[in-house]
Amino acid sequence: MLIMKNINKIFQTADIQTHALRDFCLQVNEGDFVSVTGPSGSGKTTFLNIAGLLETFSNGEFLLDGEDVGKLNDNGRSRMRNEKIGFIFQGFNLIPDLNLYDNVDVPLRYRGFNAKERKFRIEQNLERVGLASRMKHLPSQLSGGQQQRVAIARALATDPRFLLADEPTGNLDSEMAQSVMSLLEDINQQGTTIIMVTHDAQLAQRAKRTIQVKDGKVSELENISRQHNQAIA
Amino acid sequence: MFSYYLRLAWISILRHWGLSLLMICAIGLGIGAAMTTITVNYLMSANPIPEKSAQLYYVQLDSWDVNDPFDDGLNPPDQLTYTDSTNLMLAKQAFRQNVQTQAFGVIEPEDPEMLPLIVNGRANSADFFPMFNVPFIYGSGWSNKSDESKEFVVVLSKATNDKLFGGADSVGKSIKLEGNMLRVVGVIDNWQPKPRFYDITTGAFNDSEDVFVPFHLIADEKISRSGNTNCWKPSGDGFQAFLASECIWTQFWVELKTEQDKADYQQFLNAYVQEQKQFGRFQRPLDNRLSHVMQWLESQEVVADDAQMMMAMSLMFLLVCLLNTVGLLLAKFLGKAPEIGLRQALGASKRTLFSQYIIESACIGILGGLLGLTLAFIGLKSVESLYGDYMKGLASLDTNMAISAVVLALVSTILAGLYPTWRACNIQPAQQLKSQ
Amino acid sequence: MLETGLILRALARNKIGALLIALQIALTMTIMVNAIFMIQDRQQQMQRKSGLDEKNSFYLTNTVFGQDYNIQAHLQTDLHTIRNTPGVVDAIQINAIPLSSSGWSMALQHEPGEDKDAVGTAIYMVDDHAINSMGLTLVAGANFQPEDVELRKEGQSTWPAKTIITQAFAENLYPDNWQSAVGKTVYISQTQPIQIIGIVAALQAPWNGWNGVERSMLVPFQRESKGSYYFIRTEAGRRDELMPIIEKTLAESDKKRIIRRVTTIEDTRERSYRQHNATNKILTTVVITLTLITGFGIVGLAIFSINRRTKQIGTRRALGATKGQIMRYFMMENFIISTFGIIIGCFGAVALNMWLVNTFNLSPISFQLVAFGVITLFIVGQLAVLYPARKAAMIAPATATRTI
Repeated sequence: MLIMKNINKIFQTADIQTHALRDFCLQVNEGDFVSVTGPSGSGKTTFLNIAGLLETFSNGEFLLDGEDVGKLNDNGRSRMRNEKIGFIFQGFNLIPDLNLYDNVDVPLRYRGFNAKERKFRIEQNLERVGLASRMKHLPSQLSGGQQQRVAIARALATDPRFLLADEPTGNLDSEMAQSVMSLLEDINQQGTTIIMVTHDAQLAQRAKRTIQVKDGKVSELENISRQHNQAIA
Repeated sequence: MFSYYLRLAWISILRHWGLSLLMICAIGLGIGAAMTTITVNYLMSANPIPEKSAQLYYVQLDSWDVNDPFDDGLNPPDQLTYTDSTNLMLAKQAFRQNVQTQAFGVIEPEDPEMLPLIVNGRANSADFFPMFNVPFIYGSGWSNKSDESKEFVVVLSKATNDKLFGGADSVGKSIKLEGNMLRVVGVIDNWQPKPRFYDITTGAFNDSEDVFVPFHLIADEKISRSGNTNCWKPSGDGFQAFLASECIWTQFWVELKTEQDKADYQQFLNAYVQEQKQFGRFQRPLDNRLSHVMQWLESQEVVADDAQMMMAMSLMFLLVCLLNTVGLLLAKFLGKAPEIGLRQALGASKRTLFSQYIIESACIGILGGLLGLTLAFIGLKSVESLYGDYMKGLASLDTNMAISAVVLALVSTILAGLYPTWRACNIQPAQQLKSQ
Repeated sequence: MLETGLILRALARNKIGALLIALQIALTMTIMVNAIFMIQDRQQQMQRKSGLDEKNSFYLTNTVFGQDYNIQAHLQTDLHTIRNTPGVVDAIQINAIPLSSSGWSMALQHEPGEDKDAVGTAIYMVDDHAINSMGLTLVAGANFQPEDVELRKEGQSTWPAKTIITQAFAENLYPDNWQSAVGKTVYISQTQPIQIIGIVAALQAPWNGWNGVERSMLVPFQRESKGSYYFIRTEAGRRDELMPIIEKTLAESDKKRIIRRVTTIEDTRERSYRQHNATNKILTTVVITLTLITGFGIVGLAIFSINRRTKQIGTRRALGATKGQIMRYFMMENFIISTFGIIIGCFGAVALNMWLVNTFNLSPISFQLVAFGVITLFIVGQLAVLYPARKAAMIAPATATRTI
């Protein structure tokens, strides 16, 4: 469970204070698939960075799986990212010098799994995204959609509780985008909580729940009832 | 286009000033160190008399101990006995010939107020002066005739003439050297051959002498000799016994005009030694050598070991600096991959890109070269002050060396820039633009 | 150690960059080890003792130019004057000065004859005051007596009956028991017998580059010569005060000679080893600059490669890498490259040394020195990469979500 209460993020430059997030409140439950939309500069990337523990916040309260994130130091945040969160970036962010196998291996190394465990997880997850046969390829030898699938395999390899996706289909054509979305839905079905930032309203609709960020605030909640009703039913 | 590339290079150098500075310093230091040691080696191994170095021959005869050869038998003795050089002088088989040794003495000035002067001298034959192209301000050397009639004459160095006669034309005047009245026949202009090839045995980089006197003054014990003496056989008492001994202490030079003359003289030397063998001398196998100036300097290893070692080290040092530059240029150019991709998309050909980056390398090279030149100048100054007299006159940059420094920097930096530039030109534009 | 495999694979994709650093390290190591070796070699030479009381001794040259000059009488007067100057310990006439690079040499042999092996030695012609004047230590046998001292004419070829030699020379002549040299008769000038009556601990020959520099002999001769040296030892701390006094006294006592080159032994030593000193200073500068250049080269390349990999590092951070792990990655990367370079460097160092041994007759380098080079370069590499690695560790994980 992810709970944010009155989170503020203020960027301080020499003479201007920018409120990227203003008393931001959000609760994401276990198994949810939340899409976050909003215009450029609304603060959705800041929200994602804070939710993913990539950035700290100025004040407020943030509990991730019951742990008070505000009290963690840098190493603690690194550990938590590694154990609980998986990331999918718009630009894929694969390491160009490493092949697919080694790319998926990166977070597993940081987790400290033994070789056997890592091999099992890498192969399992590459299988899951349908790229097991291309393990020895370099990222540059793949199409964009394939690269994003590797990124998803990498994100899932550590069995994270949360999957944070930042415009995961932003760099993909619609066909590839659809296939990536289906993959995310599958993953959600299997129990992983997903938070997805996107500006594509159509894609956002495919999530169980959509929130909109405007001027650093959660301004609107939509189709929550539908999802909830379904959940209750 | 050239000025456009220059401007781009300049912008790029300023933009990455830290990296550029690092490269310029590395090249500068490398060039500075290399040029310092190269200059010292270059001056040490310079040809002191280029106009006729191939016609002047130093004579060596192997008169040494049959049981214990000189220099372990690798080279014949580096000097001749008095007996042999006198015999060779009398034979007059060369175009010019000169027997010489180092001497020293005290000059008592006429003016009783002036302090006596200790001078380094050279006792030599008349041919010394024309043979070694010695320049005169006043008068000339003495003649062969005055050698034969054992005249008491002297040639002064410019410095000695300045001290004794205030720089005036002193030809015809007399000086008192070791109690002998010697008539001045000539005053030498500034003459400091480096290396002082005509006598390596007493120091290849010493100054030339203060006075030059006829060799017979030594034989007749009018003036004291100095320099090296080497004996393998006890000589007996008294100076006459010493002159007749197997001790080597004279140097003998001949001037031979052609290869044929040289061959003839070699034959003459061999015949002379064969003849001497009949008197029980020269028991070692025939090993008579004629070495022209550069051969002689080479065989006497005039270039100091230290200088050679340091040159080797400094060239390796330069290589490290260049590797450094290759690495940094590579990093810099590859860091510009997106820009290169964009330029290609905007119509830059490989050739234009190549020119652009080579010019950037060259700019860094020139700046490094100029820094290197400054450092070489400082380097040579400190070499001179650290080594003192030993390096006097061996640590100055001439125009040739200055130009070589910049050219060396330029060429080596361009070479260093070739690989990075090639890599930069081969960047695939599509990939760079896609990832933007 | 965790990531070695990953680092190696990443390096394999950027071979040239890594190779350039490795080669630099290799060459630096090659030069450093050999330069330090040369420095140490010279320092050892400079530390050898001359055997003299260097701090309190000086010498001067006495050059006679007057005709009909009674050299012998003046010599006795001069020595008497100097020895009786307050503050002077003792003084002698001598034919050559240790460390001055000009002197006389002879050879001694066990048996007489032209074809017998002989050992070269420096020869000092002195009187019975030599041991006291030079501050030598007699370790066996006895000193010369005043009646042993002979007058030597210019060009004389016979030698006195007695000699005192250095311990190093005695060890060379009698390797089994150097003390047994006392009382033995050896031959000088191939055939003349001369008896060893004493052994001094040390007295160097004038030529510091000669491999027999520790071999010297003293013979009881006073020379009747127009040019000679006076060697003077003063009471501790009074040298500088006495130098001008003695120069003036001698110069004024007699106008038919020139007193010149009043020089301390310390200056003589300085001049003698000037080239060594200079070479050492230059080599030290070379080693330091070279290390700095290599160090800064590593810094420059590392910063650049980190700048290029900013996003990648951010991603790693996002994937859970701690700052420590990022730093360790770059330190490890440098360690691997250094190891490669240092291995080549070891071969290079030995190869250069072999060339120096062949060309300039140097001795081979020691294992310790190579080990020192290895450790130093590892440290230099790690230190150089420390700052860039810290910089890399400071890259914010949020960089990963930035589009450009």
